[in-house]
Amino acid sequence: MNKNIILAGVGGQGLVLTTKIICEAAFKAGFDVKSNDVVGLSQRGGKVWGSVRIGEKVYSPNILPKSADILLGMEPLEAYRWSGSLKEGGIAIVNTKTIAPVPVMFEEAPYPEDWLEVMEQKYQVITMNAVEEGVKLGSSKVANTFLLGILAKRLAFDTKFWLEAIEENVPAKFLDMNKRAFEIGYAY
Amino acid sequence: MFILKKAQLMTGNEALARGFYEAGGQLAASYPGSPTVGILTAVKNYEEVYGEFSINEKVAVEVGIGASFAGGRTMVSMKHVGLNIAADPFMTFTQTKVNGGFVLVTGDDPGMASSQNEQDNRIFAKFAHCPILDPSNSQEAKDFVGMALDMSEAYHCPVVMRITSRLCHSRSVVELGPRVTKENPGFSGELQHYAMIPPNTYQKQYDMKLRLEALEEAANTFEGNVYLPSDRKDVLILTSGLMYNNLMELDLGLSIYKLGMVYPLPIKKLEELSKSYERIFVLEEMMPFIEDELKLHGIACEGKAHFTFTGEIFSEMILEGLIKAGVVDSSLEIQETPVNTVARLPMFCAGCPHRPVYDILKKTKKKVIGDIGCYSLAVLPPFEVSNSVISMGASIGIAKGMAKINRMKGIQEPVIATIGDGTFFHSGITGMINMLHQNKDENITILILNNGLTAMTGGQENANTGHYIEAADMRVDIPALLKAAGLPAVQVIDQFDYKEAKRVINEAIKHEGLSIVMTTRPCALNFKIKEPAYYVDPEICIGCRSCLKTNCPPILMRAYEGMEKLKSSIDPTMCVGCSVCSQVCPVGAIKRSEVK
Repeated sequence: MNKNIILAGVGGQGLVLTTKIICEAAFKAGFDVKSNDVVGLSQRGGKVWGSVRIGEKVYSPNILPKSADILLGMEPLEAYRWSGSLKEGGIAIVNTKTIAPVPVMFEEAPYPEDWLEVMEQKYQVITMNAVEEGVKLGSSKVANTFLLGILAKRLAFDTKFWLEAIEENVPAKFLDMNKRAFEIGYAY
Repeated sequence: MFILKKAQLMTGNEALARGFYEAGGQLAASYPGSPTVGILTAVKNYEEVYGEFSINEKVAVEVGIGASFAGGRTMVSMKHVGLNIAADPFMTFTQTKVNGGFVLVTGDDPGMASSQNEQDNRIFAKFAHCPILDPSNSQEAKDFVGMALDMSEAYHCPVVMRITSRLCHSRSVVELGPRVTKENPGFSGELQHYAMIPPNTYQKQYDMKLRLEALEEAANTFEGNVYLPSDRKDVLILTSGLMYNNLMELDLGLSIYKLGMVYPLPIKKLEELSKSYERIFVLEEMMPFIEDELKLHGIACEGKAHFTFTGEIFSEMILEGLIKAGVVDSSLEIQETPVNTVARLPMFCAGCPHRPVYDILKKTKKKVIGDIGCYSLAVLPPFEVSNSVISMGASIGIAKGMAKINRMKGIQEPVIATIGDGTFFHSGITGMINMLHQNKDENITILILNNGLTAMTGGQENANTGHYIEAADMRVDIPALLKAAGLPAVQVIDQFDYKEAKRVINEAIKHEGLSIVMTTRPCALNFKIKEPAYYVDPEICIGCRSCLKTNCPPILMRAYEGMEKLKSSIDPTMCVGCSVCSQVCPVGAIKRSEVK
């Protein structure tokens, strides 16, 4: 199995931790892994992205243009921005909760409301308002774990590796909520 | 599928720390700066190693020199520009007979993801007569630390480990090994080797020359330099670091010479190889460093003619360069189809204590001299209020120089400088004391934005953190310190009391003379504000956008049912309850929720 995964989001959404969990789950499953944890200013509302490459032997952490199998979009505009890196027919998993960038806040540019329509023409798009789902479970902080569940379903390794990686990386008091979010995502 | 024993995934930064631990490292010092922050953070997980974030890079190098003198294995890490301030001790230390192994890690930032310039510190290392190692993945980052320390002790010189930002933050598999302990010879105190005044320094010029010659010879058999010949005998690619992996990814079947040590080069080996290849290409980011070295030695090669001189070089860019050079077939070309959409630049976090300060400064319409820290984001829209950002601590000296010239020109223009607490301790304090000299009451206002720690790099403790965190061991009192120096009394304000903060700042700007104001609210990321969210009453809101202009992530204009004008709104999942927007609202439309 060779999989290239691109992650895109907004600084502060937890992209580094999410990248780490994907890497560790894949590594536990016996694969070679390389990642870019985060590129850009983390935690300050700017665009951030990361990548995970999984396979028998991986050289570069970078993904060639149009070579990503899966795009994990934590925010629609950021998913849209990075959609060009997907293979034709690739999978985009997108949290639909929007975060307005400065030009949108200042009414200088519209938010690209047609992102889904445009992306669906080329890719298989799976959407979920993960923030809303998180609030239902008790915290918007578990939003990314739903997305991990959706991702896990599309990667051919045992969920036990995912659960181990999640357990090792989230605070103990949020573990049950994260497990539940993962299961909901996996069954989504 | 492969199964490694005792292997784990590590970032380049974590791997450097692990390598230092395994090699018997004893003292690690650093100053936080992207991309190398994670090295010292990871070092702190190893009990056997003493680690500190020093007050600045110069002090970190000095602490490191002491450890090395005393025979301890030492690693000092910093971002590329950190070496500029550490250059003074480093450039003279390099002349000494290095005792305990000394590795200096420089985090270069091709593409400037988080830096104010793109300096290529390989130039610096050559300037300092030091060998340079350049790892290509986390495993090498770990292994090269041990090799660097051995090399440092064998050749009695500091060794520079050059790592780039991408590798610092890239995770890959590392095999773990045990920690070895080295015998510590102690400090000999030999004057001719450590007391660097002339005539002792005369001999040192020869010593440095000789060690580089010996290293150049050793480079021919250095295990980190790997020749990987293929069936293609026309072209040889010379590369190092992550470029090697970006090239390997393309699977082009070209002959490669991968350099683990990029200075000095294995010249003999390269001269020999140059006879068997028609063309030699050098693949390196930023300056043509390796290319120039080859050319200096009369070895014909190509490099920057095909590959960019700035930014990162990704696989597709390597391919493009090689296609243009006629080395590989153009059918391999990869077409990019970037999606052009709305830009998203970083902004102050929800509840950031810098927000009200820059909102107040923007309203003064004055020019502001900024400094290095999160507040450099005030350069970006919508604030666009920091008119200059140069280097750590520079704002204060720059403000003085501007004020002197303004006075000569007869301009009555107040000069405002803003500086954070971390930057103040790093190197603002010297500029501050320099304010006392030939002070002719020029109108200068210095705003010390004290947020309790070094925030932009993730919240490391600094000399004043003890005022915010009980367990922190330094609690320098900035107003008392400046008072003791004879500077004007510092006016201490709470910037979340917006009106009062505005009054004090505006009065300071009006005052003909030096004014110093210090804000006190801590970083909102590291000291979470847990107040009820605020909300907009659209019936009261007049749509003036005063709140929007504070540029807080949860604030957005939106349509409300039955209302023609757009009115403000606050996303309750993002609001932390700092109250600044409600204080700038002229009509009291923004209210605090009853419950959290």
